[in-house]
Amino acid sequence: MKYVPKEITQEVNTTPVHPLVNLAYLAGTVALVGVAIYFLLGIAADQIARRIGPETEEKIGAVLVQAFPVQETVGANENATDSRLEYLHELAISIQTDLEAVTGEPANYPPLKIGILDTPVENAMVMAGSHLFFTEGLLAAVDSENELAFVMAHELGHLQNKDPLTALGRSLVWITIGSLLGLGQQGSGVVPGAFNLAELNYSRGQETAADEYAIALIAQRYTHGDHSLDFFRRAQENELDLGALNRVAEWEQTHPMSGDRIKKLEAILVEEGVALTGEATPLPEDIGCPNFTCEP
Amino acid sequence: MELLVLLILTGLGFFVGRHLEQKHYASIKEREKKTLHIPMMNFGAKQDLPHAHEAQMFVGSVVVANDYFKTLSAALRNLVGGRVVAYESLVDRGRREALLRMKAEAMEWGASQIVNVRFETSNIGGQTGGGLAAVEIMAYGTAIR
Amino acid sequence: MNALDSHGLTLTTLEGVPGKEIVEHYGLVQGSTIRAKHVGKDIMAGFKNIVGGELKGYTELLQEARKESVERMVSQAQQLGANAVVNVRFATSSVAPGAAELFAYGTAVKVQ
Repeated sequence: MKYVPKEITQEVNTTPVHPLVNLAYLAGTVALVGVAIYFLLGIAADQIARRIGPETEEKIGAVLVQAFPVQETVGANENATDSRLEYLHELAISIQTDLEAVTGEPANYPPLKIGILDTPVENAMVMAGSHLFFTEGLLAAVDSENELAFVMAHELGHLQNKDPLTALGRSLVWITIGSLLGLGQQGSGVVPGAFNLAELNYSRGQETAADEYAIALIAQRYTHGDHSLDFFRRAQENELDLGALNRVAEWEQTHPMSGDRIKKLEAILVEEGVALTGEATPLPEDIGCPNFTCEP
Repeated sequence: MELLVLLILTGLGFFVGRHLEQKHYASIKEREKKTLHIPMMNFGAKQDLPHAHEAQMFVGSVVVANDYFKTLSAALRNLVGGRVVAYESLVDRGRREALLRMKAEAMEWGASQIVNVRFETSNIGGQTGGGLAAVEIMAYGTAIR
Repeated sequence: MNALDSHGLTLTTLEGVPGKEIVEHYGLVQGSTIRAKHVGKDIMAGFKNIVGGELKGYTELLQEARKESVERMVSQAQQLGANAVVNVRFATSSVAPGAAELFAYGTAVKVQ
């Protein structure tokens, strides 16, 4: 046989597609499918969350609370060593009763449990199972009952709207997508997952609804809106007032900016014909220290 | 911050990688053209080789790695499925380079033809997701003179 | 699905074509393709791992890939003016996690 040397001119073993086009197609497909899955799971999670019964909610709450560095909680029957918890519990029950009167809806969540988180950050949060937490920082900073009542009513509003459960559902969706895409190799992702779930990012809509729920209570309980929004005023001072950049930064956050929240709530009060000035209802002395006793 | 590093690496991978790949391909094509006159075949076990006086085995091998941009594309392709375009040029280059190296050694020895050529490919990077995207390609055959 | 379109070329795994003589040979021809499976198939395969049996999805995927690599090899042979490819060999290897390379190579010849 004879050898006839010939050149292979046309490349068959590579596909003639521009690498950027290829990448764009891939990234686009992955993004589209990811968004579709997120939406579908989000709807599913929402529907399931609304149908969870109170006993299941209590169980979920019990598991989540374990991941938190809490001092103590006061339920209906437990005894606490910090007398502030009893005071807070009574105040919360009183507000809950007022809320039922104002809105005409009975409370649709399990019995309240109060806890105090030992951290200097000013914050309050609520978790599935009706676990209400206030931080030491918040208790040290509040000046009037009006303020504390607003914060409490806001959190009870989240509970009434079943926000902690729907937030759980959404976090679950993220964890599911993350594990599908292979990001974050967690063997038994339950315990680290609990921390994730407990982060509780409520949507802007949920936050606004809770705000409006609370301001309705304030109007009825104190007949004026003064002092109740002090928490936001302090937060506003801490936030950078960026002016024109405000709109951009706002879109990125899960909370509306404090300035906007104050404006919106004051507008509601004005619309309802509620006064914006009045006397502050005082708090017990030294609420910022354990057992109402501050060391000198 | 991490996103910035990622973008820089990807950009480097894309531009520099593409340039190096094109240079490599140009070199491969040139060498193939030059050495076309020595035949290579993958049979030879059952043929008479009347002009053969001496035989000797030669091996050419190369380890090639992919650039960052292509590795990223391939990772996405793993989700969508289908032809992994990013790796096609990698193995194509590697194979032709290994073949040319074997041929070069054989021609230096004075071969008139190379028979019974075989290939071996293996993944060097290891099976974990974060390993190297590197492939070793080996071509070996019997040179006759 | 499995019919290979070899464009009229004869493919053999022997060193020649039975009953015919090789008159010219053109050197090595190669065809390769690299395929990845998508997450859907991965998940289904994960389930199949529980009950066992044939992974139909993967079988079809690799059959298609093999067909493509042989067709690429034939395309190279056509460019050289061959009418047969002898001593066809296959090599499958993993080039990256989740991606497999299917490689077919042979010698392009003219038979009479």
